[in-house]
Amino acid sequence: MSLTYIAIGFFAMLGMMLMGLPVATSMATVGIIGGMVAYGLPFIDSIAPVVWGVHNDNLLTSIPLFVLMGELLLRSGIADRMFGAMAAWFGRLPGGLLHANIGCSAIFAATSGSSVATAATVGTVALPSLQKRRYPMNLSLGSIAAGGTLGILIPPSVNLIVYGSLTDTSIGRLFVAGIVPGLLLTAAFMGFVIIYAVLTRSSIREEKLPWRERVRLLKDLVPPAVVFFIVMGSLYSGVATTTESAALGVVASLGFAWHSRKLSWALLQTCFVQTAKTSGMILLIITAAFILNLAVSLTGVAETMTQWVTSFGLSGTQMLLILMVFYLILGMFMDVLSMMVATIPITFPIVMALGIDPVWFGIFIVIMCELGLITPPVGMNLFVVQGIRRDGGSIADVILGAAPYVLILIGFAFLLIAFPSIVTWLPSQM
Amino acid sequence: MKDTIERWLGTLFGLIFIGLSLVVAVETVMRKVFNVSLQGADELGGYALAVGATIAFSMALLGRNHIRVDVLYSLFPEPLKTALNWLSALSIAAFAVLLAWLAWFVIQDTRAYQSVSQTPWATPLVYPQTAWLMGLLVFGAVAAIVSLYASFLFVTGRTDALNTLLHPRTTREELKEELEDLKVRSSHDRSEMNVKSGASS
Repeated sequence: MSLTYIAIGFFAMLGMMLMGLPVATSMATVGIIGGMVAYGLPFIDSIAPVVWGVHNDNLLTSIPLFVLMGELLLRSGIADRMFGAMAAWFGRLPGGLLHANIGCSAIFAATSGSSVATAATVGTVALPSLQKRRYPMNLSLGSIAAGGTLGILIPPSVNLIVYGSLTDTSIGRLFVAGIVPGLLLTAAFMGFVIIYAVLTRSSIREEKLPWRERVRLLKDLVPPAVVFFIVMGSLYSGVATTTESAALGVVASLGFAWHSRKLSWALLQTCFVQTAKTSGMILLIITAAFILNLAVSLTGVAETMTQWVTSFGLSGTQMLLILMVFYLILGMFMDVLSMMVATIPITFPIVMALGIDPVWFGIFIVIMCELGLITPPVGMNLFVVQGIRRDGGSIADVILGAAPYVLILIGFAFLLIAFPSIVTWLPSQM
Repeated sequence: MKDTIERWLGTLFGLIFIGLSLVVAVETVMRKVFNVSLQGADELGGYALAVGATIAFSMALLGRNHIRVDVLYSLFPEPLKTALNWLSALSIAAFAVLLAWLAWFVIQDTRAYQSVSQTPWATPLVYPQTAWLMGLLVFGAVAAIVSLYASFLFVTGRTDALNTLLHPRTTREELKEELEDLKVRSSHDRSEMNVKSGASS
């Protein structure tokens, strides 16, 4: 395949997506046309076993299971109650409840996987107290929007499963690799709030609660913590595969939902319907991505691109900086999961040829996705947070409030490029 | 009608994965604690996905959950919006029918070679694949009906109805559903909310 064809194909696909055609069919159309141009009708024959392979892949079974696990924790109200505990423990820091926003979003999004549900819940629970206590509006909104991005990095993460399955990278390793950067980034977000609060000498912090009360509130953190440790513990120790750890997580969540006395048939049905819709959306995109991937690998697109890129004599670091700009711009306009799936078939082989670690690159891409969630004009978390406020202010407040976190994320990506072992150290201990 | 279909399909989908979780969890614990393996839980997971995914495709279609990027869409004039909504319905239908057709190919091969799974169970693959084909046929049928109805609306010029039915799902809609669910959840949770506000004041 010549470069011109590749460019036409890639931009045609992006064009179809941005025009508003379904992401899955845009990818499949370009994949099928590309494959047919090169191989004619026999290409269709070669798609068939690939589609069965994807739909019969036990690894991908973990997607509906993790989504179901999050739905159970969310709809049974287990996740909603974490805010009180977070507020009690972090409220004393300068910046007060803003830390609870970030911490709560981080844990919540890690288990739920839906940024909309996360921001909606945390926002609805937190905003009234924030307003009553006169926290600056843009700071409050920014911390909720930014906190909600942490979930796709902190495992279990559907984005990491999708990356792992498309690139044949171990999902267990990707999950484990997400832990340290996830914690560091959470700490960096909280650190920003503290510095800001101290510098502006604002007195936003909460009253000290008696120890007894704080310890009592800890019980609300038990279910999400236990589910997290069951999933990650079984994966890290090698006791369970990704799908098995997801199944254990579902059973544990079901147990907690039952224990909270919220489990009813109606609740289960809501969880089932939501899980099916979310999974259907993700799995159809993955199906299309594998068709596109097949066309890309059969027609040698990856080799052409890799040769072209290496002909510039770029180093790995230079390439990553270019990709950062590329993803930053693309993320401003596109849904981030779609962005990831549509670009990986081309960017992954290029960075592999430059000797970059596949697990590291997975974490890097997810951080680029996090950026996409809070960069205007199309940052989903910005819209969601704007949608929950009741004071009728402009979305500019949210964009400005989230802007420092955009800078932190970019800085963090530089940090990972400079010190890749932040990502690779923990999985290398497995 | 749509809600009823959704509930039934959703229940089937959910029971498949709850059932699978229980089997896999028991298998994992038994293997680790008692060193006994039931075998085949992996294989079952693959079949659960094959059937579950096809149900999920149909449900995501009915809920307009298949992602469309709406950044430019919202700026377009009405006629272009209509054309895009119509084209989207057609493209999903074409893709769904293609998938069903591919599944039929796969089954032809399976029958020709009498393929069985490469596992201790040696399941004749024709059984799970037939279930998979059925699911994809349902998805194809649902997508075809939606696109035919959209075409009917398009040809008869009822573009408003077409746009109302098939416009891309916005974040705002999704948020609205979440907030409604949250309201139901927190009304059950009133007592804990009181504790919380007491704690933070």
